[in-house]
Amino acid sequence: MYVHIPFCAARCPYCDFATAPATTRLRARYLAALAAEIGREGAALGRPRARTLFVGGGTPSLLEPDEVDALAAALRGAFAFRPLEATVEANPATLDRARLGAWKRLGITRLSLGAQSLSAEGLQALGRTHQPGDVAPAVAAARSLGLAVAIDLIFGWPGQTAELWAADLAAAQALAPDHLSCYPLELETEREEADANWPGGGWPVVARWRARAAAAVPDEDAVASLYEQAERTLRRGGFRHYEIANWARPRRRSRHNLAYWRNDEWIGLGAGAHSHLGGFRSRNPAALTAYLARAEAGLGRLAAERVDEAVDGAILALRLDEGLALDRHAARFGRVAADRARRGLRSLDGTGLVRWSGETARLTPRGRLLATEVFLRLLPD
Amino acid sequence: MAVQSRIRNFSVIAHVDHGKTTLSDRILEVTGTVAKREMREQLLDSMDLERERGITIKARAVRMAWTARDGLLYELNLIDTPGHVDFNYEVSRSLAACEGALLLVDASQGIEAQTLANAYLAVEQGLEVVPVINKIDLPSIDLEVVRQDLYTTLGFTEEETLLASGKTGVGVAEILHAIVERVPPPHGDPAAPLRALIFDSHYDVYKGVVAHIRVMDGSLASGDRILLLATAKESDLAELGVFAPDAVRRDRLEAGEVGYAATGLKAVADCRVGDTLTLATRPAALPLPGYRPAKPMVFAGFYPTESEDYPLLKDALEKLRLNDASLVYEPETSQALGFGFRCGFLGLLHLEIVQERLEREYDVTLIATSPSVEYRVIVHGGREIALDNPAELPDPGTIEEIREPWMKVMIITPTTYVGPLMDLAQNKRGTLKDMTYVDPTRAMLTYEMPLGEVIVDFYDQLKSRSQGYASLDYELTEYRAADLVRLDILVAGTIVDALSIIIHRERTMSAGRVLTAKLRTLIPKQMFDVRIQAAVGNKVIASETVKAKRKDVIAKCYGGDITRKKKLLEKQKEGKKRMKMVGQVEIPQEAFLAVLRIKEDM
Repeated sequence: MYVHIPFCAARCPYCDFATAPATTRLRARYLAALAAEIGREGAALGRPRARTLFVGGGTPSLLEPDEVDALAAALRGAFAFRPLEATVEANPATLDRARLGAWKRLGITRLSLGAQSLSAEGLQALGRTHQPGDVAPAVAAARSLGLAVAIDLIFGWPGQTAELWAADLAAAQALAPDHLSCYPLELETEREEADANWPGGGWPVVARWRARAAAAVPDEDAVASLYEQAERTLRRGGFRHYEIANWARPRRRSRHNLAYWRNDEWIGLGAGAHSHLGGFRSRNPAALTAYLARAEAGLGRLAAERVDEAVDGAILALRLDEGLALDRHAARFGRVAADRARRGLRSLDGTGLVRWSGETARLTPRGRLLATEVFLRLLPD
Repeated sequence: MAVQSRIRNFSVIAHVDHGKTTLSDRILEVTGTVAKREMREQLLDSMDLERERGITIKARAVRMAWTARDGLLYELNLIDTPGHVDFNYEVSRSLAACEGALLLVDASQGIEAQTLANAYLAVEQGLEVVPVINKIDLPSIDLEVVRQDLYTTLGFTEEETLLASGKTGVGVAEILHAIVERVPPPHGDPAAPLRALIFDSHYDVYKGVVAHIRVMDGSLASGDRILLLATAKESDLAELGVFAPDAVRRDRLEAGEVGYAATGLKAVADCRVGDTLTLATRPAALPLPGYRPAKPMVFAGFYPTESEDYPLLKDALEKLRLNDASLVYEPETSQALGFGFRCGFLGLLHLEIVQERLEREYDVTLIATSPSVEYRVIVHGGREIALDNPAELPDPGTIEEIREPWMKVMIITPTTYVGPLMDLAQNKRGTLKDMTYVDPTRAMLTYEMPLGEVIVDFYDQLKSRSQGYASLDYELTEYRAADLVRLDILVAGTIVDALSIIIHRERTMSAGRVLTAKLRTLIPKQMFDVRIQAAVGNKVIASETVKAKRKDVIAKCYGGDITRKKKLLEKQKEGKKRMKMVGQVEIPQEAFLAVLRIKEDM
């Protein structure tokens, strides 16, 4: 189960997720509508058990303890709530003991820290408001409550060198996280739906920031080198590179995210959340007013158009180091779909992007960097 | 119906923008042919495109009545001429239909190259030329300089030269008087077998092919069975008439008259400009002199932007050809651009007009390859092959000689720009043949130059180096042997046909470098290094490498939002579809186009 809390203390200019200002007057209405949606969906599905929970954002960690308690009550009321893994995303600067305590009461087992960088240069280049020194206390607080810790890093920001990236990787490893995500900076140039949540002409400023950043980021080759650097460094540090942008210590992979990549089923609740249930993909609007209009009217999610489950399944599977097992793919989606995937992947023979062991295809390190080339071969003509 | 002594047939020779159309309109108005309130601007130009571009593509004739100073009523026929160098032959046929011509010179511009060329043509054909300085209403003009132009180039004295303003109407009546008094009347033989000169033809959806004719000898009546001497086509005449300026039906046209004939033919190709129309029952023994089949000089490939539009393009070309006998085309396939047509044109402007009409009137979006000329290749054994497509060039080992068309190019320019223009002509392999002064401020340069150089950017360069003041005229002289070779472009070891060019050997080095460097920026990175080479035969003369791409990944797949990522993938896939696979390399269409265009930079 995924629950979305869009609120943020400040808008990070590179971020294109469904976000909204923490001070919005829609906050209480949103949380009420979210609770109602949780209740309604839980009832409609017959109060199922959620094996994993991921509370993402936005910045869920800035919710007040009473808001967290209300969310917990809604979740327990609507679902058989005994998760194997429950993660909440946190901004290192907005985490305090009282809030963390509330999340702990909700049943959180894992804290995902949006550090992005552990250097002043990086945080400044990314327009982040927290300080490098905020991360270690946040990790310590999580550890003191027995929580697993995941850290997110971004690389390829304007001015980043191999040395600065080495420093970030070393500092992150020094915090001994269970899980690390390293995303190359991707700057969306189209105005996101959630921009409507930010009052006062936010978009031109964001667009200008992104244009300037895009002009200043290291070139593609350099970013590829940074990626390879992360791969080398983290492998030596005992991390398993189990997904294109994710590394974990043994048995510390994100169960929740694995569900996405294994094309399992989940429900996403709240603005901008995506769901995959019964072979259908659907989503909620990312703009708060649009979300509220639907949720308060008791309307369901928006169905995704043109879904090809077999193609989606193959693409997602290849993101993981487990790879795409064609026999299992055939069992799930049929022989035709598996043959099509095989033909597509075999057309890459000789390029060194895909490695085969029996009926299982996996991306090579080069294949991860050129994953788009691989995925394109899986799309129907 | 007027006797020949009361008929005057004339055309107007003028440079683009020198006010021909405005003056023609004023003449129509002064003669009462068109009431002032009915005047549409530029009445003679009937196609929208002509009105927009301000040039005349199709010649038309208008009949007017004019009471001369002798008190008698005369029939005047104004035959309009196309105003661009590409349509030289059409101009010559229009002039052949006349006994006189007005030579119109802009008071502020002086005589221009093309005007002069046409005036020479008129004089050579024995026409009485009446010089007119137009636009005398403009402020700050120096009539003396223009008079001197007319004197040094054509020998006209001040007394002969009329002054007029098409804008205000000043001097228009005087022009009409001069036409009656100076231009000789036609003197055809009314009793001889019919000979009528076709000086224009167009396709009318209701009437079929309509020929614009000047009856030289004999007469023609509606219902006659006609014969065209050059094409040997016979047909029953459907309708006869004159333009005044709207079509007015007539039963007969007599020697000396100008009018139209709805021929009953189905294609303008059967009714060529310059052909002689006669009676099938009593044909003329000899055709009128000067007929020449339309000969394309400039060639280009036309390809639909979307390959599924091929039938649309084919249909549009067929329809266009109904009305444009000088347009030739045949199907062509390019490895890079797919199915299209190789088209031949009278010149660059003709090419542009056809392209624009295809896009505007037929709604086809197309890609035009860079224009080329017709080469004549002599292979061992003496056989001659004519070709305009570099891909068709035979194995260099079998070639004895390659010949290319050369032009006589006449440039008139203010003396200030003589230096830069000489540089330009030199760069284009031109040889200076003559240089004279038309007046103290303007020079006339005569060059010999390969057409292949003229069509690539020469006109634009001429205009930009002279700040728009220089004017140009050219005509084909002969084919000459040249040291030409085919420059091939290899992408990852494979020759790409659409990128081959025929080029002078001296240019291969610089062209090879420019082309490979440009392609390096245009071919997107592939999954492997891609070598781009320029080669003449087996010899590689320039080489560049597109380094393999290292990163192309949407790393963030967050919150299970795969739909947005898939959309991006699908978009990328669409982009790939539009690329052409050459071996293992994907080349975007834009690369072909840009390369075809950069011929201009070499």
